[in-house]
Amino acid sequence: MKKFRRFSRLTSLAVVLGLVAASLTAFAACGGDDDDDDDANNGDTTEPAAMATVGDLKIYDGWARTTTNAVSAAYFTVKNGGLEDTLVKATTSITNTVQLHEVITEGASSRMQEKPGGFPVPANGELVLKPGGYHVMLMDLKAELKEGATIDLELEFAKAGKVKLTLPVKPGAGMSGGEMSGSMTPGSGMHGSMTPPAGMTPGMGMASPTAKAN
Amino acid sequence: MNTKSWLSGPRLLFGLAAIIVLIVAGVSGYLVTRSDDEEPADYVGAVINEPVPMPDAVLTDDDGKPFDLRKETDGFVTLLYVGYTHCPDICPTHLYEMSEAIKRLPEKTAEQVKVVFVTADPERDTPEVMKAYVDTFDPNFIGLTGTREETDAFQETLGIPVATRTDLGGGNYAVNHAAYVIAFTKDQVAYTVYPSGMGMKEWLNDLPLLVSKGYVP
Repeated sequence: MKKFRRFSRLTSLAVVLGLVAASLTAFAACGGDDDDDDDANNGDTTEPAAMATVGDLKIYDGWARTTTNAVSAAYFTVKNGGLEDTLVKATTSITNTVQLHEVITEGASSRMQEKPGGFPVPANGELVLKPGGYHVMLMDLKAELKEGATIDLELEFAKAGKVKLTLPVKPGAGMSGGEMSGSMTPGSGMHGSMTPPAGMTPGMGMASPTAKAN
Repeated sequence: MNTKSWLSGPRLLFGLAAIIVLIVAGVSGYLVTRSDDEEPADYVGAVINEPVPMPDAVLTDDDGKPFDLRKETDGFVTLLYVGYTHCPDICPTHLYEMSEAIKRLPEKTAEQVKVVFVTADPERDTPEVMKAYVDTFDPNFIGLTGTREETDAFQETLGIPVATRTDLGGGNYAVNHAAYVIAFTKDQVAYTVYPSGMGMKEWLNDLPLLVSKGYVP
């Protein structure tokens, strides 16, 4: 009888501990920061198809932003397998007011302006247009751009020449695809590097235009 | 009393095995939670040197009604961003990333978060324009406007650079403004900001912490 009582007490303690452990594990699984979105990892394993090719240049991941007014922006990545080139001009049938813009963040403030001379495409490297860096600025749009629509865009490179694109209209790039997805995985050391060491230094190194050589 | 025979043989072995398994599970569960609790909250937002209080300001909401910031955001985690609707790049990116993160939060957490977008371009951004714009991201987002004096004073109180213009020709202009989102905890003080480049993943890390713990460095 004595033995049995001990057994039952131990059992109930163990059951309680076990239940606590199980529920905490479940809780941690819900609330933890490992709930990575499925679509964030898409397209990283296989080389995606280029939207267009001209000379040594291949164009990927193009899109334009939805609007509620006459202003939008277009983004894409140019991969260069040859000598250095420059994107000098972009045109579209939906407006005559198109500029190549850069966003410059200095201290706490960001400003947006035309990039003199266009966007450089490094030799054997890539030109990336993305929020906070370079974009093709579309102004004086006659109609709002709605999600699911497409727009045409013609790019003119100094050496490679002209190439036509059809871009989907989306509310945002999302964090899927592109160079961000790999380094943005929680726990991969991004947390440390995203936190400035001291004081308020927003925008440091994160919003600069990207034109990097491979 | 046949306790002894009930406890003998395979039953005893099974019982003991079960106890060991449960104890191991319990202890490891305890250790896991213990280390979780003792770890300081790991914010990815940039920490501000001097925390910023929510400005005591009344602006105009996207229905054209007065909006008392301190009153309306009391008890909420408030993500405050100053921008403009003709902003093609940074503003929609911040708003989009916040909306995507909030969609993915548990409802209990999401309902404790308010997103407030204050224009730095009041001449173009009327309440109607603000409403049409913020609604494309999330109908719960709050768009605020005011007179030029009010919106400039608001930025000054926040301690951010007051917006200026860059002429883009043909009547178009860009508004140069602070590029980060300011996160206020429920006690209406901001300790962290989120620069351009931080998005959904950073929000999904920090919002549950800001809601449950506030700011605990």
